[in-house]
Amino acid sequence: MKHLFSLTHPIHLVGGLILWAVWFVAIYAGLSVACSMAPPDPQRGMLTGINIGVGLSTLVTTLLLLWLARAGLVAARRTSVLRERYFAHVSAGIYLFSAGGTLFVGYPVISLPPCL
Amino acid sequence: MSDIKDATLTPEIQRLHKGMDEVWGNPKGLRALTVVNHTSIGLRFMVTGAIFFLIGGLLAMLIRTQLAFPDNDFMSPEIYNQVFTMHGTVMMFLFAIPILEGLAIYMIPKMIGARDLVCPRLTAFGYFCYLFGGLILASSLVLEMAPASGWFMYTPLSSGEYAPGPGSDFWLLGITFVEISALSAGVELVVSILRTRTQGMALHKMPLFAWYILAMALMIVVGFPPLILGSILLELERATGMPFFDVAGGGDPVLWAHLFWLFGHPEVYIIFLPGAGIVSTLIPVFAGRPIVGYGWVVAAIVIMGFVSFGLWVHHMFTLGIPQLALAFFSAASMLVAIPTAIQIFVWLSTLWLGRPRMTLPMLWIVGFLVIFVLGGLTGVMLALVPFNWQVHDTHFVVAHMHYVLVGGMLFPLMAGLYYWLPQVSGRMPSERLGKWSFWLIFLGFNVTFLVMHWTGLLGMRRRVFTYDTAMGWDLYNLISSVGGFMMSIGVALLILDIALHFRFGKKAPQNPWGADTLEWAMPKPPTAYNFVSLPEVETRHPLWENPELSRTIYEGRHGLANIQHGRRETWGSDALTGKLRETVHLPSNSWWPLFSALALAAVCVSLLVRVYWVGAVAALVAVVLLLRWSWENGAHPKMAPEASLEPTEPPLHYRTMNGPGVWTMSVSHLANGSLYLSLLFGWFYLWTVAPEWQMPETSPLSMPLLVLAGAALTLGTFVLAGRVRRLRRRNDAGLGGGMYLTGVLGALQSALIGVVIWQAELAPTESAHDATLLVALIYVLLHALLGAILCLLQGLRVGYGLVSAEMPLEPVVVLRLWHYNLVVYWTLFVAIWVMPTLLGGA
Repeated sequence: MKHLFSLTHPIHLVGGLILWAVWFVAIYAGLSVACSMAPPDPQRGMLTGINIGVGLSTLVTTLLLLWLARAGLVAARRTSVLRERYFAHVSAGIYLFSAGGTLFVGYPVISLPPCL
Repeated sequence: MSDIKDATLTPEIQRLHKGMDEVWGNPKGLRALTVVNHTSIGLRFMVTGAIFFLIGGLLAMLIRTQLAFPDNDFMSPEIYNQVFTMHGTVMMFLFAIPILEGLAIYMIPKMIGARDLVCPRLTAFGYFCYLFGGLILASSLVLEMAPASGWFMYTPLSSGEYAPGPGSDFWLLGITFVEISALSAGVELVVSILRTRTQGMALHKMPLFAWYILAMALMIVVGFPPLILGSILLELERATGMPFFDVAGGGDPVLWAHLFWLFGHPEVYIIFLPGAGIVSTLIPVFAGRPIVGYGWVVAAIVIMGFVSFGLWVHHMFTLGIPQLALAFFSAASMLVAIPTAIQIFVWLSTLWLGRPRMTLPMLWIVGFLVIFVLGGLTGVMLALVPFNWQVHDTHFVVAHMHYVLVGGMLFPLMAGLYYWLPQVSGRMPSERLGKWSFWLIFLGFNVTFLVMHWTGLLGMRRRVFTYDTAMGWDLYNLISSVGGFMMSIGVALLILDIALHFRFGKKAPQNPWGADTLEWAMPKPPTAYNFVSLPEVETRHPLWENPELSRTIYEGRHGLANIQHGRRETWGSDALTGKLRETVHLPSNSWWPLFSALALAAVCVSLLVRVYWVGAVAALVAVVLLLRWSWENGAHPKMAPEASLEPTEPPLHYRTMNGPGVWTMSVSHLANGSLYLSLLFGWFYLWTVAPEWQMPETSPLSMPLLVLAGAALTLGTFVLAGRVRRLRRRNDAGLGGGMYLTGVLGALQSALIGVVIWQAELAPTESAHDATLLVALIYVLLHALLGAILCLLQGLRVGYGLVSAEMPLEPVVVLRLWHYNLVVYWTLFVAIWVMPTLLGGA
């Protein structure tokens, strides 16, 4: 089990995207439920608790993914096994993509009022 | 290099080949229906898919004939609705997916150096499900009862009120039947790629095509169940009146759209990925150099596989969803352009840095690049919400979809067809006829669909039966129709070319295109066992680095070159490193797959004609047949006449604790879990969104009985896990008793759930709440019953000496099911009892 956490394991090829997907589902479902249970006043524009919550979770997820991308590169440098280096590099790239994807998809929260 | 079949073999090697032929060979006559060999089944998939392609193409031509002129009365509106619905349905479900699965089934074992897929009988079962499901669906056309609500069957148009005839039932039952086939292929492709690669073929050394198929298969496993669930719910609504999609009863028609597109959007990528896999295989061969950026391509495949599941709402931009969600899914839709672009640049770089040869397969690849890039660009346009609103449901979308699907799938498929044709037939394709066919299809396609963008921008809706000449669409439609017929002539030439090929094609050399992958290291046409000996491969380009490999394999100089035991064998290897772990003993030809599929077809037809008691009997027969099939497994005498091995060979898989069966069960649960999560999604969606949903103040379900049922399940799982732990220590004392005890606990759980359902006095035809509860409870009841039956059978197998400390695999497989049941049961308990009780009626 321990070796699954090592960033040289191929499970990390999907690690970043799983985090992205969990964030995606949580945000989409959370947004729907929040809008259903406690829709904010449309006059408030984008400065609502929902937007702040979504924005914060986007930021935290992005930072986590960026940190994992960097950790992947470090792990690639540290290993001498070609296979492990390969998976660490590719995983780092996918973590980076996932970070960009989180930011790109989460960006609308700073410019749009929710629940409309 | 000349054909390896011309090589002079020693008498010993000749005997080896003869023995392999006897053990692996296909029977003739009626017994050909028992064949399970991946080469034969893969070809059957592809030929059947090609026939459905012709049917779908014929329907397309009927559409183009109808639309060629304004105010045309070539077809009645009712027939036109059936024709366009069946065109989309046949092309998506009966042609695109099955033919690509067929290609994967045919090609994957050959590319990874295996003798067959890991579950050959499942391959055959999948084929028969596809065939019977396809025939049931296609028969609706002949009966003039075909579905007429469009290929995505939106409710309420497809519901009982607006589609009272059997058309929608044909679709729902036929497609669900076909999807069993897709899932079975998906599961075994995943496990075969991960666990049966030849010795030394580490994950990062396997051919890119295998990466693409791995992603495709995983996407099938996760992506198809939402539609299966949707189809079950809609069929229940139509047959019994459970109002899942009826607003008045607390349902919501938009739930169908969500479930459909949760499947439908990934399906586009399920179709595209194998096409891209063909491109990534062929371009390096014809450029004469390794692909630029193997790692980039792997990353792009993985990203595409995931991101494609986050785009489904972009098909629903006009359905009335929150603004923020629109922006959200619009951004995600644009995101997928990145992995696509990575692949395009990798292919272009490989061509740039290599020395491309413009052969017939490459012509199709160039056609793919042109058409697919155009389709991708209009895809980015459609991801923009305001533009999407403008062109939604117009011919612009039809044009975009065809550019993506025909460009992304049909053109690479044709490239692959011409590329691998010598592998199948031992003959070279005709360049002249092939080029004529290509240009007619390429030009015909663009004449048809490029013009269709403008027709759509001018406002022509898709699916309109006819149009008035005052709309100004006459010329565009006429040009599209002429292009369509041009394309048809191209397809006719292609068929002629293939037909002549098998008779007049020139004999192909051993490796006609100078390829690097293992499928070219076997005799042509391939033998039923692929490789007489299994090589060690530690490079991505085995035939480039060792051109003699074909000969040494044929001369039996590598692994598993022994057939005296009479078993069908292939290597089982480590998913990551490719190191040998087991000798996988594969099952041989059998009637069980055909009989089981026939019983399921009987279920399908009975439900269609609404003779439910026959359906129930047929379902029972299907279950008995499937269980009987599972009985001939592992150490069963029909499976294993003897268990001897060479001293250097790893143990037979059923004598280990982690054989491919464990992986197959785990991957199956990915599909099962996807279905369950879709059900949970439906529950929460209706709860939070459906306007007339009524949550009762107190749950109708008995909490003490639910907890007792859960306790029985939990205790059973502990008992079973304890027995498996003992097996790991080579201790099988009390194994049979433990299995029986677990089975009894499973039966107790089933009985308690049955009492919960009986006591709840649900009114499933009156409220979506009760209907969803009932479906959820039946879901866990069926799983509890399955868990109980499998454990009782395991107890019997222990008694017969088929499961023991020496043969410990099967309890490990069954334990996976119990673990799954445990997670599902308690999460469902929280969702349907704890949360409603805590949050109260709403």
